[in-house]
Amino acid sequence: MSKTTQAPKALRGVGNFIDDRFHLAKTGEKNLRKVFPNHWSFMLGEIALYSFIILLVTGVFLTLWFKPSMAEIVYDGSYERLQGVPMSEAYASTLFIDFDVRGGFLVRQIHHWAALIFLASLVVHMLRVFFTGAFRKPREINWLIGVGIFSIAIVEGLFGYSLPDDLPSGMGVRILQGVILSLPLVGTYISMFLFGGEFPGEEIITRLYMLHILLLPALLLALIVAHFMILWHQKHTQYPGIGHTDKTVVGTPMFPAFAVKAGGFFFFTFAVTAGLSAFVQVNPIHLFGPFTPTSITSGLQPDWYMGFLEGSLRIFPNTLDFDIFGYAVPVAVLIPGLGVMGLLFGALGAWPFIEQWITGDKRAHNVADRPRNAPVRTGLGVAGITAYGILWLAGSNDILSETFSINLYLTTYIFRVLIIVGPVVGFIITKRICLGLQRRDRETLEHGYESGVIQQLPSGEFIEVHRESSDETVEILSSKPTITSTALDETVDEKGVESPQARKGMGKLRRRLALWYTRDNVTVSDVQAHSGHHLHHSHSAEESDKEPAH
Amino acid sequence: MKWITARRRHPLAGYVVVILALALFGVGYAALAPTADQAQARTLAADVSSQDDADVDVAEGRAIFDQTCATCHNYDGSGTETGPDLRDVGPAAIDFQVSTGRMPSMNPNAQMPRKDMVMSEQELANLIAYYNAEIRSGEAGAEIPTDVPDHAPDRESFPSPLRSDFEDEESYEEALEEAENEYQAALEAYEAEYDAYIAGADNTDMGMKLYLTNCAHCHSWSGGGGALTDGRWAPEIHDASPREIYEAMVSGPGAMPMFSDTVIEPDEKQELISYVKTLQTEPNAGGPIDLQRVGQVAEGFISWTIGLALIVACAIWITAKQRAHD
Repeated sequence: MSKTTQAPKALRGVGNFIDDRFHLAKTGEKNLRKVFPNHWSFMLGEIALYSFIILLVTGVFLTLWFKPSMAEIVYDGSYERLQGVPMSEAYASTLFIDFDVRGGFLVRQIHHWAALIFLASLVVHMLRVFFTGAFRKPREINWLIGVGIFSIAIVEGLFGYSLPDDLPSGMGVRILQGVILSLPLVGTYISMFLFGGEFPGEEIITRLYMLHILLLPALLLALIVAHFMILWHQKHTQYPGIGHTDKTVVGTPMFPAFAVKAGGFFFFTFAVTAGLSAFVQVNPIHLFGPFTPTSITSGLQPDWYMGFLEGSLRIFPNTLDFDIFGYAVPVAVLIPGLGVMGLLFGALGAWPFIEQWITGDKRAHNVADRPRNAPVRTGLGVAGITAYGILWLAGSNDILSETFSINLYLTTYIFRVLIIVGPVVGFIITKRICLGLQRRDRETLEHGYESGVIQQLPSGEFIEVHRESSDETVEILSSKPTITSTALDETVDEKGVESPQARKGMGKLRRRLALWYTRDNVTVSDVQAHSGHHLHHSHSAEESDKEPAH
Repeated sequence: MKWITARRRHPLAGYVVVILALALFGVGYAALAPTADQAQARTLAADVSSQDDADVDVAEGRAIFDQTCATCHNYDGSGTETGPDLRDVGPAAIDFQVSTGRMPSMNPNAQMPRKDMVMSEQELANLIAYYNAEIRSGEAGAEIPTDVPDHAPDRESFPSPLRSDFEDEESYEEALEEAENEYQAALEAYEAEYDAYIAGADNTDMGMKLYLTNCAHCHSWSGGGGALTDGRWAPEIHDASPREIYEAMVSGPGAMPMFSDTVIEPDEKQELISYVKTLQTEPNAGGPIDLQRVGQVAEGFISWTIGLALIVACAIWITAKQRAHD
């Protein structure tokens, strides 16, 4: 026990003053003692939080000079190559930030790199939550908020990319407009309203700017705060281990240990972002030149997080377009442009509820799953990653084609096949790997671990000595939940009448899905730790006295 | 050896061996495989002919044509199944194809990459003289734009005097110095001509619009090239001299459309060439690593593999260090 010491008198006075009025001491103490589980994968969301803070700070800096105007001016700033070139004020002011504002170039690059890392950390954080089943009750709402943050962040990134009004900006906005136009009936109207007339008009930068610096960051901030407050209330999940149960949390207290770590981690995140910004050129708008509607170039992509949409646009066949009453329905833009995005976020948002429906599991889960222990979910996750990755790669097919000397059209066909086959193969392989790992876990539980010591028995037989696993390992392995589903319960009551739900189509579907979700799993419920015959086998020999008895 | 013995049964040992073997084969192949440059070096005999454009030898041009071109283009340039008719293409096309090393082609079925020229400047001049005299039909095709600067003078075409030709050390060194001065003067003259051509263009906007409207959708905004349909590609144009870019425009090689002097006028071509050449020499304002100016694909790759990976590694590090009672 540490010795209780009194705070200096001056601080005590202030502290008492505040506490007498707001009664913060009790809440403060409780919250400062909040524990955080110690595992690196719980820090992934923090990377996103810190990147977001960096984005806010650098973004405010950039707004001081950026002029969101499409008024045409003739550039006469300090970047000589473009002097005398007519351009929008938005582009000219971005050049001003780059070349005339002290540190402006660095801050703009930090802003851009932080955006790329923000989105990347959102993705890895989300994957961690998905694969460990941390989205399950009671955390479904927080999962939905997370999906919302991810989708808004993508749009926020797209708008930010569009603001400097350089060549890639304009091409990105043009694709955005194309996707909007593909909406049946309302597309042309929405495009006209958004652009204030024909593309590119004179309004779009101003409007995107308002959305980029005001509306979307406010939404993001609100959702992040909500995400964090719910997390604070519900606490982290934790991985299985001794003392880790659905009722107790084990970890480092917020103050001082975790706060110090988290603070240090912020600075590290900032250091990596700033380091990249200092040495690696990102989005060199001064080289691209201003956008004009006649300009077009090969070798340009959206930022990585929009890459999967670019890819789906590139590989979707255009033979399905049709006309109805003389109005074109451009399926080849509509489905890959909006359908794929809807599918991604729809599937992400719906999955916790689908899984709950299949398993009928209404319990609260605070201990995270090991990914191998939920093979179907893990397999689906990998299938999703595969599909996303293939679309993402397809978005860079011209770069791949040129770099690796592959026929451009051939890459399209390769990706079309892969987008169908890849996720299926990914699912099957992942599920098999998970089941294999489950079997190994069961074996480890039964036999202990292979010690690497080979012994020769008097009979001449060689055996490998198995040793007992540590208590921690035994705890982790034996706490493996058995996946069941209420849909597989007996549906015929004692009078031999089948329950009406199970007879209907949805009931049958649910039963079939439940079977698919639960079968093949390896159960450990019938295993006594270290009861395996191998262990006894080695003990049956004379060496048994050398092994710890049990 | 004990170090290896202790680790050879490590679970990762197999992978390490495979990676080492692959690396060995890869590096070994890269080191030993003949490259186009080396093959080049052998065919490049010591060609030390005097550098005088007026002094062309049509007969030698014929010999070169019959040896290196006629197999595909026929002896009268009328073309065969493997090579197109040359009679209407004009000397600019010949100069472009040969000076960029694309002709003579090793494989007529494949798109030729840029290489060093296989013949000397003098031989090329002879070849073109023969082409103009015997093969070209009238005034067909574009002339070589001689007022547009080509490549910097080649060091090898300014031969150093041989010691054995001189009586004493002093006169040898004098001659050596003279040859060096001659080369430097030619280089300076070329650079002045190049700078005058590039600086003569003063309308960045026109050059940029022309380039981004007509060229960038294949050669990309940076001139780095890009993929085309049917397995072809648009080459990067960083190494091309202004004259070669000009010739490519007026002759339309391969899949490239022709931009004759009536479509894009010579002074507009000057603006365009100046734009792309100036862009290529721009320093990297945003940091020493420019990611080949490929753009967003490379940036996304870096943000994942370096940015996020470093931060996650740090997360692993700070959570691995914990006190027993934490």
